[in-house]
Amino acid sequence: MRGLALTLLTALLVVASATPALAQYRIGMSAAITGPASSTYAPTYEAYKAYFKRINDAGGINGQKVEIAYEDDRGEPQRAAANAKKLAEGSILMVNASTSATYKPFMTESETEKVPLLFGGGVCPREAFPPASPLIFCSTSFGSKWDSRFALGFIKEQAGGKKVKVGFAAQDIPLSRIELEFAEQLAKEMGLEAIPVVVVPGNTPDFTPFAQKLKDAGADWVLSWALWHVEVGVFEALQRIGWQGNYLLYGHQQTQDELARLKAGNLYAFGGNTLFLENLPIHSEINNVKGQTTHPAHYMAEGWVSAMVLEASLRKCGWPCPKDKLATAMAGVSVDTRGLRGGAIEWTADNHYRKSTYYKVYRWDPTKNAIAPVGGWTRLEIK
Amino acid sequence: MTQVLATTVVVASLYALLAAGYVLVYRATRVLNLAQGDMMTLGGYFLFLLASAVPGQPALSVVTAAALSALAGFLIYRLLMRPMAGHPIFAAVLVTVTLGILLRAAIVLVYTDRIRHPLPLLGLANPPRRLPGGAVVSTFDLLTVGVAAGLFVALFVFLRLSPLGIQMRAAQRGIDFQLLFALSWALAGFAGALAGILYANNVRLDPSLGVLGLKAFAVALVGGLDSLGGVIPGALIVAAVEVLSVRYSDPLLADVSPFLCLLAMLLIRPWGLFGTKEELERV
Repeated sequence: MRGLALTLLTALLVVASATPALAQYRIGMSAAITGPASSTYAPTYEAYKAYFKRINDAGGINGQKVEIAYEDDRGEPQRAAANAKKLAEGSILMVNASTSATYKPFMTESETEKVPLLFGGGVCPREAFPPASPLIFCSTSFGSKWDSRFALGFIKEQAGGKKVKVGFAAQDIPLSRIELEFAEQLAKEMGLEAIPVVVVPGNTPDFTPFAQKLKDAGADWVLSWALWHVEVGVFEALQRIGWQGNYLLYGHQQTQDELARLKAGNLYAFGGNTLFLENLPIHSEINNVKGQTTHPAHYMAEGWVSAMVLEASLRKCGWPCPKDKLATAMAGVSVDTRGLRGGAIEWTADNHYRKSTYYKVYRWDPTKNAIAPVGGWTRLEIK
Repeated sequence: MTQVLATTVVVASLYALLAAGYVLVYRATRVLNLAQGDMMTLGGYFLFLLASAVPGQPALSVVTAAALSALAGFLIYRLLMRPMAGHPIFAAVLVTVTLGILLRAAIVLVYTDRIRHPLPLLGLANPPRRLPGGAVVSTFDLLTVGVAAGLFVALFVFLRLSPLGIQMRAAQRGIDFQLLFALSWALAGFAGALAGILYANNVRLDPSLGVLGLKAFAVALVGGLDSLGGVIPGALIVAAVEVLSVRYSDPLLADVSPFLCLLAMLLIRPWGLFGTKEELERV
């Protein structure tokens, strides 16, 4: 009898302790929190932490807390593979905010375990674009091929009908090279004169030889799509050797600080996120997380948008929210980014990137002695 | 061509500063200090720390950062390397590998991975300078060349003329080993810090700068691991191959060119240009 009572008591305790753990949205996130690429991805991890702390403090979503298990993959595929296995178990969604080298193991695990996978911070994989893979979603502002389409259109527009020679500064990582090789080809199709892509090793001690190559080839414009230190390293070297052309780069989180540091009127940064200097109400809201993060608030935009999308997806999913129901909910979500982006992020059954993507360009305006947008938002329809 | 030449000398100077650290430690202690690149990064962060604490005081910040780095080198010897005495050299080398990892992790913990630029905090600018022949370099490029030249002259004078330096050169014959070993580590920390301080102001500062130390390691081996004089031609050869490969071949070769130089040297003259044959056997 005593044995039976003990067994029942133990069973009750197990059930009691297990129930609260199950009654919440369980998400797994793998990010390059440390490692060489972490300056790009760690702010996304911090934004998620701050965003969902706020959500949980306010009572959660649909009455349930959001529990996120965070794992550091350092941008390395081996660590990512271990993280994917760990996170797929018991999570209703996996989030990847890391380098493209970590994508494969996550996509494999997502497919095997039928767990939806959200890329929030790293470049969007082709599986998110139409026709999208049912489980792959992406909220990141930058997307391969579309960025080059916009960038070359911008250069052509700025050239105002003049024949211009465009150079390309890529980094020695596959994604950057593939993107700019695509851009080189596209530039030719658009009637621009294209100089062959110059590939720059990320840890070069001096960017001057690469800059010299671009200058000697006669580039009027240079487009760079790489990690920030390479994009800016080539620009600074070009500037030093007296190059007089214009430089267009993808604006990562550092853009606002760096445009102000360099104060160069010929440096243009394009991207999908509004800079915080525009002082929108949402920017003030993000500024309130100061003290909870090691990165400045204006580095959080990318992660904040991704967290907004996740919140909207969980709300739409309701409760209970198993992984298949969540994937269905995500495939119909529409999120007002409140000015952080040029428009809403809308996913459909076959488009998990967004129906429209928006770009804005900023530069240092010497006449205003301040950073200023170059025109408004440009919308591209994703088909 | 003058630009290629100027860039080669600048890159060689940076490598020479780093490689001097490898040679100084190796000559005195026979240990390959694989944390030299991270000691460079540490020097850069000391500068950033001081420039943030007392903005607009470049002389104070630079001198204190270099002194702190020398102290760090001294402490590394006293706390980590000295207890390794009597153990195989291989174990000591592994300690330096671990030290490098720990330094990087500590920097990330304190400063995150964000790219930093101490130059504005120091209240300095880095304008371009036109050289005779038309080449253009930055002010800090020129400083890098000047500082490297100054350091090597000072080291040669110190090692050949000062009593302590003469003892360092003759370390195998005895006298105060502990002091000389500690001094070698302190000098390696100092040389690494000079490279870090100059690079942080000229290009950027982030925790991953230590990878440049690997290229400088190739420089030290090409010149001869026990030859301070060999560092200069070693650095010039490696830098020239790197810069020329960008200019006239595939830019991607730039990253591997120091190791191609190393491989070629190992095949032709394994003890390096000015190294001694018996030292290679020790390695």
